[in-house]
Amino acid sequence: MSQRPILLQGHERSLTQIKFNKEGDLLFSASKDSLVNVWFSHNGERLGTYDGHNGTVWTLDVDSQSRFLVTGSADNEMRLWSVQSGKCLFVWEFPTAVKRVAFSENDEQIVCITEQRMGHQGAIRVFNINREGDGTNQSREPESMFHPVGSKATVCAFPYMPGLILTGHESGKVALFDAKSGEEVASNERAHMDVVTDLQLSVDRSYFITSSKDKTARIHDAKTLTVLKTFSTETPLNSACLTPNTPYVLLGGGQEAMNVTTTSLRQGKFETRFWHKIFEEEVGRVKGHFGPLNTIAVHPAGTAYASGGEDGFVRVHHFDDSYFRAKPYGDIEILN
Amino acid sequence: EDAAEESNVSAELIAQRKRLVDEWNAWRIRCQEEVAEERRARGVRQEPTRRQEEEREEIE
Repeated sequence: MSQRPILLQGHERSLTQIKFNKEGDLLFSASKDSLVNVWFSHNGERLGTYDGHNGTVWTLDVDSQSRFLVTGSADNEMRLWSVQSGKCLFVWEFPTAVKRVAFSENDEQIVCITEQRMGHQGAIRVFNINREGDGTNQSREPESMFHPVGSKATVCAFPYMPGLILTGHESGKVALFDAKSGEEVASNERAHMDVVTDLQLSVDRSYFITSSKDKTARIHDAKTLTVLKTFSTETPLNSACLTPNTPYVLLGGGQEAMNVTTTSLRQGKFETRFWHKIFEEEVGRVKGHFGPLNTIAVHPAGTAYASGGEDGFVRVHHFDDSYFRAKPYGDIEILN
Repeated sequence: EDAAEESNVSAELIAQRKRLVDEWNAWRIRCQEEVAEERRARGVRQEPTRRQEEEREEIE
């Protein structure tokens, strides 16, 4: 399905989240080793490191201009970085760990989830980002903050509808919240039967895919939260993504094996699964990691994808022509 | 007879797949209109079309 992958070696522990920038020339990676790295996606060369967190970096996002990077960590900090210089521009401190961050479509806001722990409720905060000047002049206070009642939020994003925050929860719920009032304006309590582990939006933010420990991934309408497609696998899933120019979704996860595979093997047996987005059928698998896949990202042009594993590796796969030529279901036009 | 049945099944399958694709594409078109309308309502800049970019260059 694709030529030999590029292995990015530079993290000493599990990957937690990886993301391409809008152009797709850069790949950002966050890890339990407390580092954030940026790589050239075409050759896997490391361009730099964002060094400053003192704990697992759980999450990251990069703005559409590749100017600001935001990261969230188990050290209870959210940091804003200059992508180019690697300099930390601002630090927000919280009572608990930051589990998920995401930029708004216009780059002017960041939404973040902080963990529920020891007398602290889980919280969702929205920050206005000051893009004037060098980026160091940020407001310490959020524009809004609310505490979802019931199951805690694990993932979040800004859909295309203004003023709303999209969330996935520990219980398997998917919901929409009013960003100002914190009111839950829509929910699908049974979107999944177990923890929602990832949520990735379509390009226009009108639909999204979620992965869950319940071994399924699902596509939902962002406005109605209706489940449109379900992909049922035999393993807990940690990540799911949509591709922009082929009708596939990519799923990753896996259960940690009891006996560790010998590292003398060139590649492990944990796989990225390709499913047809419309027909809900598996179309292929790519082996690679020595442990579960924690995070998958697709190049915005759809020409490559990357996976980050529990094994500490990032693997970048550039698709060859045969991947795009292969049309197992014939020549049909599927709108993105 | 078997061959006839097989081609029947595959014809059914092809029709089913076509239905799924048509359903998805119809929904996408509705969605794309809603997204565009939302952006217009907010006065958000749309991704400029090639023609708009050319016009702008001419003005400059």
